[in-house]
Formats: sequence, C-alpha cells, structure tokens
Amino acid sequence: MYSVTRLLDVADGERDRVLAAARVGAAATQARHQLVEPTLPGVRNGGEILVHLRFDTEHQWRSAETDFAEALSDPAITRVNGVCYSGDASSSSAQAGTVYRALLLRVLPDTDTRIVNRFEDDLRRMPRYVNTITAWQLSRVDEPVGTSEWTHVFEQEFTDVDGLMGPYLMHPIHWAVVDRWFDPECPDVIIRDRVCHSFCAMADSVLR
Amino acid sequence: MTIYVVDRVVTRPGCARKFVDTYLAEYAPGARARGMTLRDVLVSPPIWFDDQPNTVTITWSLPSAQAWWEMTWKGRPDPGLGSWWEGIGGLVEERTRSVAAAADDVDRLCDV
Repeated sequence: MYSVTRLLDVADGERDRVLAAARVGAAATQARHQLVEPTLPGVRNGGEILVHLRFDTEHQWRSAETDFAEALSDPAITRVNGVCYSGDASSSSAQAGTVYRALLLRVLPDTDTRIVNRFEDDLRRMPRYVNTITAWQLSRVDEPVGTSEWTHVFEQEFTDVDGLMGPYLMHPIHWAVVDRWFDPECPDVIIRDRVCHSFCAMADSVLR
Repeated sequence: MTIYVVDRVVTRPGCARKFVDTYLAEYAPGARARGMTLRDVLVSPPIWFDDQPNTVTITWSLPSAQAWWEMTWKGRPDPGLGSWWEGIGGLVEERTRSVAAAADDVDRLCDV
C-alpha cells in the first residue's frame, strides 16, 4: 500500500467548510481507504483535520496528487504537516478499532542505523503489550511535508479514545521503554523535534 | 504504585564529589518541583577517588505512572533541562536513565 497523511491546521470558524472540501478532494483521488475527519480533543500539534488516504500503488497517488494539492490550497488552511510512505499494516486484535491515530516524528540526522533499528523494534513491540491497539503500521517516510523533515510515521487503530489515553499511555512499555528515545533527559534521545500526535474517530478500519 | 527513576552516572576520574554537589544543587530542586522525591544518592565505591571513576546511582520516586507523565510533561518543554545534562558532560564519562518498579508491582502496572 502507499499512504498519504495530512494534518491540517485551519483558521477559526472555517473547519467545517474545509472539512467538506477536503472530503470532496479525497473522494476524487479514488484511494482505496479514505479518512477525513476532525481531530479529537487531546491531539498535540495534530491539526484540526486529519486526512489519511491509502492507495494500492504509489502511481495511483501520483496521478491524483496535483488535484488533491489543489483541494488543500484553501487559504483557510494555515499549516499542513504530512507524510507519504509505503508499507502494510498488522492486525493485533480481532476487535474493530474506532479511533485512528498517527504519530509523525523526526529521528535526528546522522543517528546510527543500529540505533534507529533498536528504536523501531521498541515501537513494534508496543502492540504486543497494549491490547487496545487493534491494528498498526510503522513506516519510514518517503516524503515529509510541513514543519519537520519527518522520518517515521507510527499509525495505530484503537478500540476507543480511552484505549489511547489510558492503556497506551499507562503501560510501562510506553513510559519505561519507548519514551526514552523522546526524552531530552535520557542519553538515548534521538527525537528532539516536536512530534505530531493526531487522532480522530473512524467508522471503518483503514489499516486492515 | 511507586515508580522509580534511576540515574546511573559513571563520573570522570576525580569528578564524583563535584558531580554529586552540582546535581543536588542545580538539578534536584527542579526535579522536586516536577513531582519527584529523592530516595538515594549512592556512590560506588564509597571513596572520593581523585584518579578513578566512581559510579553514582541516584534514585527518585513518583507515586504513579500518571505522575511520571506529569513530571515529564513539565520538563520536556524546558530546553534548559536537556542543556543542563549537556553542560555537566565534562564530569560524566557515561550515564543511563532507567525507570523501574518493585517486582511485586510489575503485574499490576502492566494490567492497564
């Protein structure tokens, strides 16, 4: 699959209009999976609207890219963070998710490849311990957009918002294992730029 | 359930006493303000070497995982915290920071 995620910051009072236009633009791409939803309270640097498109091939996206960019050229969109990337998701539960979450992050340039691999292994370990994650995908970014040169996107589907705000945050795999890569007090830190932590409601799974 | 934050610091030869004094004077007040309680500052071996490294193990506690997140959320926006660690690098040969809990609490901590 080839995926495209965009997090839109929108001027006050313009969200619903921009949301409707973004949905029209997303539909026109004919992506296999389309998710265009307002973000939920609790996002950090995650925009007001989350757009996620999944194509069978990169070529399909490239064919639609220019028109989609036009759809997002509305002046009410004040900032866009986003990523394009390849990869396939994993299911970690038979239960359907109702919340889609994307974490955009930038690993410091020149980080040793072995360190990056260990970091990625730690992230991949999380769904084994957090049973509210129903599907997930960790990807290296082909094309970053926005405030940082994003290197990775970590997507998950959660059972519900409580599953994201509760077990995901509170399990020791998060605060005693993974967080050290993000913590400027830890010598292991490799992510110093502000991340994008964004999530929204999801009627149907986009990762499965 | 108590969460422990453990700084294990191998000091440069002859620097252990200065490291401990600096840590307690400059780092500890902010850590307390972020909700951590200082439990121990252990020096191994218990000799202020002037020509050998020492290992200093500093243990803090927090009352819960939620308190751990609140502590780190308070500290993370402060660029001075990371730069404090960089600034003290001249006294430090290597260090780690780990997070731990009592063995009896592990199952309950993982049952979230």
